[in-house]
Amino acid sequence: MPVVEARNITKTYTIANREIRVLDDVSLSVAEGEFLVVEGSSGSGKTTLLSLLSGLDKPSSGRVLLEEMDITEASEDDLAPLRNETIGFVFQSFHLVPSLTALENVMFPAEIRRDPQAHDKAAELLKRVGLQKRSDNYPHQLSGGEMQRVAMCRAVINNPKIIFADEPTGNLDSENGKAVLDLLLEFKKEHQTTLVLVTHSIDIARIADRMIILKDGRIS
Amino acid sequence: MKNGILHPRFIVRQIVRSRRQAIVFVLCVALSIVTLISLNGFSASVNASLLNDAKTLHAADIIIQSYYEISPGTVNTVRQFEDQNEIIGHRVWEFYSVVRNRKGRDSLLAKLKIVQPGYPFYGQVVLKSGRKFAGVLTPGSIIVAQRLLDRLNLKVGDPLHVGSTTLTIKDVVLQEPDQPVNIFLLGPRIFIAAADIDRLDLVKKGSRVRHFYLIKVLQEDKIRSIADRLRDVSDAEQERVDTYRTARSRIKRFFDNLFFDLSLISIFTLLLAGIGIQSALTAFLKEKEKTIAIMKTVGAKSHFITRQYIFILSILGLAGTIIGLLAGLLLQSGLDVLFRGFLPENIALIISWRAVLEGLCLGVLVVGLFSFIPLHRLKDIKPVIIFRKERIRSQARLPIYLSGFLILAFFVLLVFWQVNELKTALYFILGVILLIVITAVSTGAVLLILKRSRVRSLLIRQAIKGLFRPKNATRPIIITLTASFAVIFAIYLIEQNLDASFIQSYPGDAPNVFFLDIQPSQLEKFSDVLGLPAQYYPIIRAKIMSINGQKINRQQERRRRGDNLARTFNLTYRNHLLEDEVIVKGGRLYQKSWGDRQVSVMDTVADSNQMKIGDSITFKVQGVPLQARISSIRSRTRESIRPFFYFVFPDNTLRDAPQTIFTAVRIAKPQISALQTKIVENFPNISVIDTTELLMIFTGVVKKLSLIIRFFAAFSIVAGILIILSSILATRYARIQEAVYYKILGARNNFVVKVFTLENLVLGLVSTGQALLISQAASWLICIKVMNISYQPFIIDSILLLGVTLLLVVTVGLLPSISILRKKPVVFLREHTQE
Ligand SMILES: Nc1ncnc2c1ncn2[C@@H]1O[C@H](COP(=O)(O)OP(=O)(O)OP(=O)(O)O)[C@@H](O)[C@H]1O
Ligand SMILES: [Mg+2]
Repeated sequence: MPVVEARNITKTYTIANREIRVLDDVSLSVAEGEFLVVEGSSGSGKTTLLSLLSGLDKPSSGRVLLEEMDITEASEDDLAPLRNETIGFVFQSFHLVPSLTALENVMFPAEIRRDPQAHDKAAELLKRVGLQKRSDNYPHQLSGGEMQRVAMCRAVINNPKIIFADEPTGNLDSENGKAVLDLLLEFKKEHQTTLVLVTHSIDIARIADRMIILKDGRIS
Repeated sequence: MKNGILHPRFIVRQIVRSRRQAIVFVLCVALSIVTLISLNGFSASVNASLLNDAKTLHAADIIIQSYYEISPGTVNTVRQFEDQNEIIGHRVWEFYSVVRNRKGRDSLLAKLKIVQPGYPFYGQVVLKSGRKFAGVLTPGSIIVAQRLLDRLNLKVGDPLHVGSTTLTIKDVVLQEPDQPVNIFLLGPRIFIAAADIDRLDLVKKGSRVRHFYLIKVLQEDKIRSIADRLRDVSDAEQERVDTYRTARSRIKRFFDNLFFDLSLISIFTLLLAGIGIQSALTAFLKEKEKTIAIMKTVGAKSHFITRQYIFILSILGLAGTIIGLLAGLLLQSGLDVLFRGFLPENIALIISWRAVLEGLCLGVLVVGLFSFIPLHRLKDIKPVIIFRKERIRSQARLPIYLSGFLILAFFVLLVFWQVNELKTALYFILGVILLIVITAVSTGAVLLILKRSRVRSLLIRQAIKGLFRPKNATRPIIITLTASFAVIFAIYLIEQNLDASFIQSYPGDAPNVFFLDIQPSQLEKFSDVLGLPAQYYPIIRAKIMSINGQKINRQQERRRRGDNLARTFNLTYRNHLLEDEVIVKGGRLYQKSWGDRQVSVMDTVADSNQMKIGDSITFKVQGVPLQARISSIRSRTRESIRPFFYFVFPDNTLRDAPQTIFTAVRIAKPQISALQTKIVENFPNISVIDTTELLMIFTGVVKKLSLIIRFFAAFSIVAGILIILSSILATRYARIQEAVYYKILGARNNFVVKVFTLENLVLGLVSTGQALLISQAASWLICIKVMNISYQPFIIDSILLLGVTLLLVVTVGLLPSISILRKKPVVFLREHTQE
C-alpha cells in the first residue's frame, strides 16, 4: 500500500505572462517503510515536488493521495491533523520557532494533539540527540547542527508515518551532516517510517531503497 | 551618486514595500500636530472674534466696579472729569432678582441690568426687532431675553413685575457686548432704564448689587492717566478701577482656563504621538534591515545609507505634517460645533497663520527628535545579519541618552510655551514624569511575573511567549497604553465624582431653595409667610485687610487661579457648630480666655492660605476694621449644597453689625414656584434662588465641558492605537513566521487566531488593568486632596470602561493580523529559505 502517491501532477508558475512548467506530468508512489531519495540539479523542482507530496502546496493539475486520501483539494484546516500526526518535516534551513526554546519546539506538535506526555517525550528525544543541556536555549543560541537535531526531534515526536526531509544537511558541514543523517536513518529503522529525502550525497543514495532523479520537470 | 541620493525609484520602492509602516508613521506625524494646531487655531479665532476687542467686551474704556455704592470721592472725581469734557460716564447696576408675571403668577430668577441712556459706549445691544437699543429702552420699558418670555409665558407688550413696580416688555435682546455668551447666567437677562431704579426699590444699602461706572475717555492717550487718578481717589478696599486692557472679563478667564486645560491634554497626546513616530519608524526600518545589510556588504557607508532614509523620512514627515495641518484646520471648524453654547452664534473662524507656522515647526521638531534613535540604530546594522539571525545591539549609548535628554527638554519647553505659568507647568511635568515612572516600574514587574510564570495551557503559554518575541515593543506599548488610558480613565472618574457630589446625589434632605438679603426688620413677617421651620443665618459682608499685620496684596490675589483673599466674604456669628461641621484644630469653636476678638476659620481657606491657630486677621466691615485671632479651624463632614461660612464669629462680636439674613429650606419641587412667587410678592427685595434650576444650568455647562475635554482626550487614544499598530507591523515578520510554523506543525488556523487574540488580550489586560489602578489612585487623591469632595470608585463604570478599552486593544491588535493569517506556508518557506 503506498503511503503517498502522485498521479500526473503538473506545477506551473506564471511570471510576467510567461508560464514556467516546473513539474510536468509526474507520477510517483512511495510504499510504506520505503526510503526514497530525490536527486536533481538545482532548480529542477525537488523542493516543489516535496511540497506537493506533503500538501504544503497544490498542484496545477493532477492528484496527490496521502494514505489513500485525496489531499489535492484539502483545506489548510483539513491538512492540519495530517501535518501534525502523519507527516514530519525537516528543512534545509531548520525553521524552528524563534520564540520557543529547543524543548518547547520539540514539544509543540505533541502539545497540539494534547499528548500528556509531550514534555517527557521531548526531553527524552533531546537527550537521545545529545542536547539535554541545550533544552532551554532559544534557536538563535544554537549552532546549525544543533538546530537541525532539534528540528529532527520535532519532526518525529508524534511518530509520523512519513518524513519529508529537504536537504537536511545542506546547511551543515560534513561531520554535522553525517550525525543528523545517522539519526534520521536510525529513527527510520526503529519505527519503519517512510522517508522521502532530497539530497546530493551519493553515499546516501547508495543505501536508499530507491532513487529518482528530476530533470526538466520529469523523473528520469 | 557617491554622496547623493539614490535613484528615485529606489526611494519609491522602499516606501511602497513597507507601505503599512509608512502609513502609520505618516498618521503619527499628522496626529502629533493636529490637536495643538486645531486648538491654537481655534483659540486664535475665539480671541479674534470675541475677546480681542476688549473695549467692546467691557463696553467702555475704564470700568469701576464695586459691591457697594460707588464712593462719593470716586463719583465726584468722575464728575470733575466730565465737567472738563475729558470723559463721559454712565452708571450700570447689575443683580439677580425674582420677577413675576401677572396672569399665571409664575416667577423666575432673572439677571437685571439697569443702564443709563448712552449705554453701551462700544459694541451694540442687538434687539430682535432690529431697532436701536437706546430708542426702545425708555422709562417704564424693559427689554428681556427670549428665555424669560418662554419660561413665564409672556410676549412682547406684556407687563412684568420687577421689585416693587410693573414694567412693560418692549423687545427681546439677542446679544449684548459685555456679555457675549449667556450660558453662565443663572437667570435670563432683563434690561431696565436707570430712570426706573427708584421705583424698583431693589438697589438699597446691603443689597447684593454690583455697581458699575462705565467711562468713555474722549482722548485715547489719556485713558491710563485718568484711570490712575480714579484709582487714587477710589476706595481701594471696595472698588476696582480697570481699563479695558487690565480688566479680565469672566468669559475671557473661562476660555483661558479651558484652553489651558485642553492644551495640557494636547501636549500629552503629542508626547504619545512622538512615541508612535518612534515605533512606526522602527517598524519601517526593521523591514529594511536586510536591504541595508546588503548595501553595506557591497560597500555603502553608514552615513550614505542614513542619508537615504533621512530623505525618505523627510518625504513621509512632510506628508504627515501637511495632512496634520489640513486635518487641524478642518477640525478647527468642527470645534465650532463642539463649543456651541459657549460661543456666540456667529463666530468667525479664521485661519491663524501663526498657528499653521507653529504647527509646521512642531511637526519638523517632533519628527526630528523622535526619529533620531531609530535612524541612529542603522549604524549598528552589520552585514553579518545576512548570514545569521543575530540580534542587533546598539554600541553607543551616549547618543541615545542625548536624544532622551533632548526629547525631555523639548517637552518641558513646549509645556512652558503653552502653559505660561511656572508652577502649573512644573506640576504638570512632574505629574507626567511620575506617571511614566510608576507605569514603567509596574509594567516591568508585571512582565517579569509573566515571564517567570509557568502556565499549563498551550494557548496561554504561546500568547505570553508572543509578548516576549524578540524586538517586540511590548514594554513601551504597555507603558504608553497604560499612561494614556490612565489619563482618560482619571478624567472620566473625576467627572463622575464631581457629578455625583454636586448633581446626582443632591442629598434628599438638603435645602433646595435659598433666600438671600432678608432684612432683620423683615425677619418676623418673612418667617410667617414662609410657614416652614428654618434656620436663619446672619450675613455680614466684609473684606480681609491684612493677616498678621501683613496687608493683602489685592492685585496678586486676583491673579490666583482658585479662590482669593481679595474678594468680599460673608461673615456670620453663632456660638455653636453646624450639624455638618467638626473642629479639626483648636479643640473648641472659641477659646475661653480670648474674649470677643476671635474667629473660627474653615479648613479650606486656612489650608490654602497657610493660616494657623492664633493668627490675627483684620477684616473691614462697612468701613470699620475688625481684628480677630483664629480660635479654631473647622471642616465640613459632607460636601453638598448646604450653607457654610468660611469665617464664624462669637455672637457678641457681630450682633450689632449691619447685616442681612439668609436661610435655606427644603420644599418639594412642584411647590417651589408658588412659594417663590409668594415671597417675592411680599418682599420684593429678597432674592429667592431655586437650586434645582441652578443645578440644571450647572449640569448643562458641566456636560458640555466634559464633552470637550473627552474629545481632546480621545486623541491620545488614537495615539495609543497607532502605537499598537506600529508595534504589530514591527513584528509582522516574526508573526507570519510563527503562524506558518504553527501551521506546518499541524495547528489549525483557529489555534493561530486564538494565540494572537490571547496575546492582545494579555497586553490589553495588563495595560488597562494598570491604567485602572493608577487612575483610581490618582482620582482618589485629586478628589480628596484637591477638590475636597468624597470619592466613589464607580466599580461598574470602571469595569465597563475596562471592557471597552480591552475590546479596542484586541480589535486593533487583530486587524493587521488578518493578512498575516492569510499568508500561505509554502510561499513563506520559499521566501525565507536561506536564512
Ligand atoms: N513561487 C514561484 N514562482 C516562480 N517560480 C518558482 C516559484 N517556486 C519555484 N519556482 C521555480 O521552480 C523551479 C524549481 O524550484 P525548486 O525550489 O523546486 O528547485 P530545487 O530543485 O529544490 O532547487 P535547489 O536544489 O536549488 O533547492 C525553479 O526554477 C524556481 O525558480
Ligand atoms: Mg530546493
